Amino acid sequence: MNPSRENTPFEDPRQQRGALRDLRDEDLIVLVQQGQKRAYDEIVSRYKGRLFSFIMRMVKDPALAEELTQETLIRVYIHAAKYREIARFSTWVFTIATNLVRNKMRQRSRRPVTISLNPAPEDDEMPVDPADARADTSARIEREELGRLIAEATAKIPERYRVPFLLREVEQLSYEEIQQVTGLKLGTVRSRINRARTRFRLLIKPMLKNETLLAELEEIEARAAAEDNRTDNEE
Amino acid sequence: MRCSKARDFLSREIDGLLPPDATAGLLAHLDACGECRSFREDLQTGRRLLAATEPRLPDNFDWKLQLRLNQALQQRAGETAYPWLEDEPAVRRGSWWPAFGAAASIGLAAMLAVAVFLGPQGAPGAATPAGRATPQVAAVPVVEAPANTTAQAASPAASLAGRSDRRSLFGASRGTGLYEAGIGRSVSTGARSMQPGAVIDRGWSGDRLDDLQTIQRLRERNDQLVRMVYQYELQVRTLKARLDSTGAAGLDTGDNR
Repeated sequence: MNPSRENTPFEDPRQQRGALRDLRDEDLIVLVQQGQKRAYDEIVSRYKGRLFSFIMRMVKDPALAEELTQETLIRVYIHAAKYREIARFSTWVFTIATNLVRNKMRQRSRRPVTISLNPAPEDDEMPVDPADARADTSARIEREELGRLIAEATAKIPERYRVPFLLREVEQLSYEEIQQVTGLKLGTVRSRINRARTRFRLLIKPMLKNETLLAELEEIEARAAAEDNRTDNEE
Repeated sequence: MRCSKARDFLSREIDGLLPPDATAGLLAHLDACGECRSFREDLQTGRRLLAATEPRLPDNFDWKLQLRLNQALQQRAGETAYPWLEDEPAVRRGSWWPAFGAAASIGLAAMLAVAVFLGPQGAPGAATPAGRATPQVAAVPVVEAPANTTAQAASPAASLAGRSDRRSLFGASRGTGLYEAGIGRSVSTGARSMQPGAVIDRGWSGDRLDDLQTIQRLRERNDQLVRMVYQYELQVRTLKARLDSTGAAGLDTGDNR
């Protein structure tokens, strides 16, 4: 399969992109199997954020999360021909991601822990995209602070509970899909999600009493809703 | 309904998976139990928190993905250029030890079998088990070939003579059946006894290397691969030039195409 070779019925790329947006994931992967690179681009645009979000919450390391997200998407392209529509495409993608994450975590657990003599870069040193309206400093700090607290709480949930929990809460996969991704029994999936929720609630309980944090949550939600409206109007 | 049961139901209820009859019982419990109502609110707030704090993708993700994808495809093209490696995944993964161990065990077992069944017949004076166990390999020098090669060629075992380039395992002495069959002659004797024009058995490697067609095919494949590598290098240079000219801010992330 050659990524540079494009086999498109559309002359105008915008027209093609619009048409691809209306397709289901399962139809897009069929086009990828036929060698259409733009269909793969559409899959990437749909899944990159979801995958990064899921993997980041699993590994808690932005660089590693980025690497694993890219690895997942590369495998989707390289092994596209192996996909058969016996399961939903999202299930297949998250199975790849989950396996990669588990392998990486297993490798890390075998390796001795090393402490770098160089201090980790501060969050403030991260580059900010000036074109992004949400990159307003105070809003960004609020969001990052809240994100850090949530990430810490999530990381404290044992891995065997965290995988089905995140697949359900963040990725909105159905119980049956989670069963396919994890290979667990349906009852086990349900009980693990239930336990993870209870654990997560205990971990975030102090935050739930913090009025300031709750106010921040509402602000973040309001900004995200405004952003979504703006994007819808632009489209 | 007990609180533990109600909380189990709550988890399913917020996923929309609770049957209607159970939902009615749960709602009745929630009306009466403030703790469980609070539990439900916390679960919903937890969901909101997770959604609000979704990690954001790093900058230039698409560009980096494209580069890595190209690398992966190049690597894959290199691997598929050697189909015989595809046929031997165990060797490539370095897991050849089990196969090697099994082959070595079989070989050792075969040698022991030869030692037990054939060794004593050719060893004079080895009638007792103790005689069998004597270290004759070290004690008996390498047997020299008979001077008369024509007599050897005339013997029924002459067809085997050219193949026996190995030393005796059991020190079989002159005049034994084993020796006449060619087993037990020294390497030098084997070389001297070869007739002009005789077919030389060079084993598995000789068969492959002598195949001129295979060599020619490998050369052509090598030329193809060299050309591919050159093209990939050109692509890499082009991409680097684009990267340098556009800079990080103006990278083509796929949305501009």
